Amino acid sequence: MKNTGNLFYRVVIIFILTMSFGSLSTAKADVPEMSSSLSAVKARGELVVATSPDYPPYEFLVNKNGHSTVQGVDIMVAKKVAKNIGVKLVVKKMNFDSLLVALQTGKCDMVIGGVNPTPERRKNVLFTKMYYHGGQYILVKKSMSWLYHDKNSFKNKTIGAQTGTTQYDLAKKQIKGVKVRGMTSYSDLVLALKTNKVNGVVMEKPAALAYAKNDGSLRAINAEFKLDKGTTGVAIAVKKGNVSLAQAANKGIDQIQKQDLVNKDYLKKAGQYLKVNTEDTSMWHYWRFFATGIEYTLIISIVSAILGLMLGLLLALMRLSKNRLWRGIAISYIEFLRGTPMMVQVMFVYFGIGVLINIPALLAGIIAVSLNSGAYVAEIIRGGINSVDSGQTEAAESLGLSMSDSYRFVILPQAMRNIWPALGNEFITLLKDSSIVSIIGVTDLIYESNLVRSDTYRGVMPIFIAMLLYFAMTFILTRILNHYERKMQYAN
Amino acid sequence: MPIDQPILAIQHLEKKYGTTNVLKDINEVVAEGQVICVIGPSGAGKSTFLRCLNLLEQPTSGEILYKGENITRFDRTQLSQYREKVGMVFQNFNLFPNMTVAQNLMLAPQRVKKESEGDARKSALLLLDRVGLRKMADRYPEQLSGGQKQRVAIARALAMNPEVLLFDEPTSALDPEMVGEVLQVMQELAEDGMTMVVVTHEMGFAKKAADRVWFMADGYVQENGTPQQVFDQPTSERAQNFINKIIND
Repeated sequence: MKNTGNLFYRVVIIFILTMSFGSLSTAKADVPEMSSSLSAVKARGELVVATSPDYPPYEFLVNKNGHSTVQGVDIMVAKKVAKNIGVKLVVKKMNFDSLLVALQTGKCDMVIGGVNPTPERRKNVLFTKMYYHGGQYILVKKSMSWLYHDKNSFKNKTIGAQTGTTQYDLAKKQIKGVKVRGMTSYSDLVLALKTNKVNGVVMEKPAALAYAKNDGSLRAINAEFKLDKGTTGVAIAVKKGNVSLAQAANKGIDQIQKQDLVNKDYLKKAGQYLKVNTEDTSMWHYWRFFATGIEYTLIISIVSAILGLMLGLLLALMRLSKNRLWRGIAISYIEFLRGTPMMVQVMFVYFGIGVLINIPALLAGIIAVSLNSGAYVAEIIRGGINSVDSGQTEAAESLGLSMSDSYRFVILPQAMRNIWPALGNEFITLLKDSSIVSIIGVTDLIYESNLVRSDTYRGVMPIFIAMLLYFAMTFILTRILNHYERKMQYAN
Repeated sequence: MPIDQPILAIQHLEKKYGTTNVLKDINEVVAEGQVICVIGPSGAGKSTFLRCLNLLEQPTSGEILYKGENITRFDRTQLSQYREKVGMVFQNFNLFPNMTVAQNLMLAPQRVKKESEGDARKSALLLLDRVGLRKMADRYPEQLSGGQKQRVAIARALAMNPEVLLFDEPTSALDPEMVGEVLQVMQELAEDGMTMVVVTHEMGFAKKAADRVWFMADGYVQENGTPQQVFDQPTSERAQNFINKIIND
């Protein structure tokens, strides 16, 4: 049957629904809206800096004695700035794509991450002075390096660059006939290079040199791009209009520039940290990363499965109710949630609702995945309820049982048994699809395995391990589901 | 049996599905302790009529009076209380497959009458004794034969201690060899004085157990009399044809 409610009505309902879920979550989250002015930072006693730790030597994770910390040139710069202000530095990890959005939505005070202050970015955020001019290099395979000398060698070739970066634009504008392949992480780009999917990868000089140093099969060459000094260095970003914090950061940057600290000190220290990582690149050495990943993947999956089941049951009952309003709400909700990608929903909950209330990434992920799963579960449960013979309802009614009792004791137990295999499918899908939350920086299995990739300079092995771990989890889940399916058989 | 106040009185009962008139102006009474057998060709509206008596079907117009009260105007609580008093046995048993036999009998007493589990179980076992199935108490319906299922269904209806029992073709879904055991139970109930309205094709049962036989066709009760009257001297042509056919088969 087709729903007759008009579009406006649906949109309003979805808005109300989203808002009410949002306000529910504040009660749990208890995270106040963050103000990032200098005085607010001082009052709080800590400076929250967001970064994407997959860009050595600027920022990367160091795995020492099973303990992982973010290190790198940028972190040392941030430490200096925090020290000047007189507060503690707190580093928040997320994807590069999400960094500036996080800044705009008040999830951090500063972004540092080898960010080039391009005119487009200047429209949205405020940049400090530049703390380093590295220049642009191109990473190529050593075996092919006789072919490439600078950017002009890549005419009509394919070159890789991180999506949304200066390097991407430079390659596109300054190399004739080049095909630029954009990817979000450098680990993927370097893997693409090693498997001949691209001929070179553009990156900042220190990053390129670090890769070449840690992987004998790679070489870094100077790209010789025509660079505009105003945009190709790296700077710290703060929220637009937050002049007080930018000025405070500039004081620190001035000192760094004056003493040439990046070249003289920070790069060397970063190199030493990097050695810690590449000393032992066995996956076993990184087991804590995978353990954290499994932990978060399981937390999100289990909590979302339970919340999704409850929401789905509620929606299914609303959809089957005689009240047109309930039915309309349920149908609109289900259609909208099933009709939009979960990735967009995850970002919307974190960043969109995040404008109004500051929710932590893990909670945002759980909310988004639950809301999404609820829509699918609702349809499964509705099918299950419809599959129960109408004679069952009549028998319950004829005994004087109330509506809720007949659902609770007669209809739902039978519906559950009928839909268990379909529900099991949904749980398994949910476990795997929970990997989408890695885009907002929830440290699930995908996120953690990407960290291992950038730390160890090993492109494939961590993916393989993640695959095995996902399989192990779904395999165990399937056994558990089968166990309950057998238990639900009425007679043995 | 003298009739003071009928336990059920049906007045101008009508039921339409769209434009199809299934029940047209039914006017009958059921006295306490009476056993009524409703017979007639298929499509006569017998089941619809029976289902109207506990409002599984909502009548289009007319009144059904239970001890003088019009049940078609009952609200939810009143209806629930009424259904406690009027049990129903279905053609397809409609036992709850997710519960054991005993649990089937205990659910309504526990949830509706708020009996304790122990009390409910005690009376469930007594009822199962009465229908000869005590040893099946902890089996699931799936494990029973058709005749056993229907006996459990009767016991389940009895568990609410009803004043009237409605039977909707209780033996039609059974293999022939199992019909007898169900009719036997019904016969015993009739002898114990239970008020019963039975839609059935079992003419033997109707002859033996019924106080009155109602012959229904085309949405009307066309004959209402003792079994002898209806079976031996039917007045309407419809009834004569129907009864001849059945006897000759």
